[in-house]
Amino acid sequence: MDGLRFVCSRAAAVGAALALVLASGCSHEKPPKRLADGALPGEFRPVRGSVLTQARTMRRTTLGPRFSSCFSGDDAERFSGDTLVLERIGVDSQSLTFIGPRGDTVYGCDGGAEPTGERAEPWCGSAAGRLFDGRLLDPRLDVLCLAPDGLPLAYAFVEPISSARWIGVDQGSYTEIYEVLAGLPVRVATTRHVQREGRATFVVTQYDREGQELTKQTLEAAVAG
Amino acid sequence: MRTLPKIPFGARVFMAAFGVALSLALTSGAQAYHNFWAGCGYEAPTFMTTMTRDAAQSYAYAASYEGYHWGGGCWNYDDADSYPYEGPGDVSSHGEGADCSGLTFKTWRESQDVAKDGRYYWRALRNVHGPYGTLAFKAGYGAPNHVVNKSTAGVMDAFSSDTHIGMVFFRSLYGGDQVIEAKCEACGTNIFYETYRSNSAYGGVGRWGWTG
Repeated sequence: MDGLRFVCSRAAAVGAALALVLASGCSHEKPPKRLADGALPGEFRPVRGSVLTQARTMRRTTLGPRFSSCFSGDDAERFSGDTLVLERIGVDSQSLTFIGPRGDTVYGCDGGAEPTGERAEPWCGSAAGRLFDGRLLDPRLDVLCLAPDGLPLAYAFVEPISSARWIGVDQGSYTEIYEVLAGLPVRVATTRHVQREGRATFVVTQYDREGQELTKQTLEAAVAG
Repeated sequence: MRTLPKIPFGARVFMAAFGVALSLALTSGAQAYHNFWAGCGYEAPTFMTTMTRDAAQSYAYAASYEGYHWGGGCWNYDDADSYPYEGPGDVSSHGEGADCSGLTFKTWRESQDVAKDGRYYWRALRNVHGPYGTLAFKAGYGAPNHVVNKSTAGVMDAFSSDTHIGMVFFRSLYGGDQVIEAKCEACGTNIFYETYRSNSAYGGVGRWGWTG
């Protein structure tokens, strides 16, 4: 009987140790090695274990069908070839951000997997938000996309505060960093805390040019309008 | 020493009743809000086999006068906005009413799963907005939705721009349409005369699956 008790206690100890190892392994999960387009990501040095997303601005004509395929029919034709477009590539996400022809609306084209097969790749969602005094009143949440692993992928705009140069989004095991560019709101994405009800929560940190933390906030967004 | 005049018993009863009534009147706004929000629920929708355009008209019209709430989708049927004067673009204020795309989603009995085109009845107090924003509706995105020619858009089809959507309640003789729409916080939800049909910023959208 004592022998049995000894075996049981040893098994329990081994199990507990295994669980501890697994748990510690999870908490030290490494950041992803590739961005959505297969490129190697950089690290934003001031934030340890971060993943730096890519961002570049270009004219609409340079993007060609990549731009027009975000819209249905000939809806893309209302945007002139000179429209400045900000393209972002993240770990699970890719997006386009631009201002409409009248200058009062900001648009986002959101990339990822698409459950209905209706839209041309890579786009699966889009958003438009009216600007009031140059700023959005609402983050224009979009939950129509899926990440490569099948999880719901939520997109939202973050308005940078003045002097913010970098935006960080908590992705659990790492922080995804977005550069503030072209005076546009920053289209961020996450698969964490996304609800089927059309709501999502983003933990957002804003940094200055040197990577000094300026603010940290929880952005609770809902699909609207 | 002066003494205060004696107040008759009837007058004292009246003053006490008046005080109680006044305090109730002052708290009724907050009370109405709390009563309203407490009634909003999250239960599953009822799967339906039918969906007629006149039933959709009735459903949407019943939401008139119930207010407008950005990102919202919960209302009762007391013909009043229980929580008026919300801040613009504020989803979290627990206001009454739907916004434009939320009203369309619920009236069109759509699923939260964009790949499903079945008919799902959401009761008025079910707080749901749906996954579609106006730009998705405008593109006819989602299994239940499709783009329609504006010239042929009929009752309970919709016109959508990048930032607004409204459903045709009936076609007007004067070039425009009577449109049922959740328009804005100040204007609420109601039937408005609109010229979306001839406005190039708007496209036509329809719902598949009407049974009558």
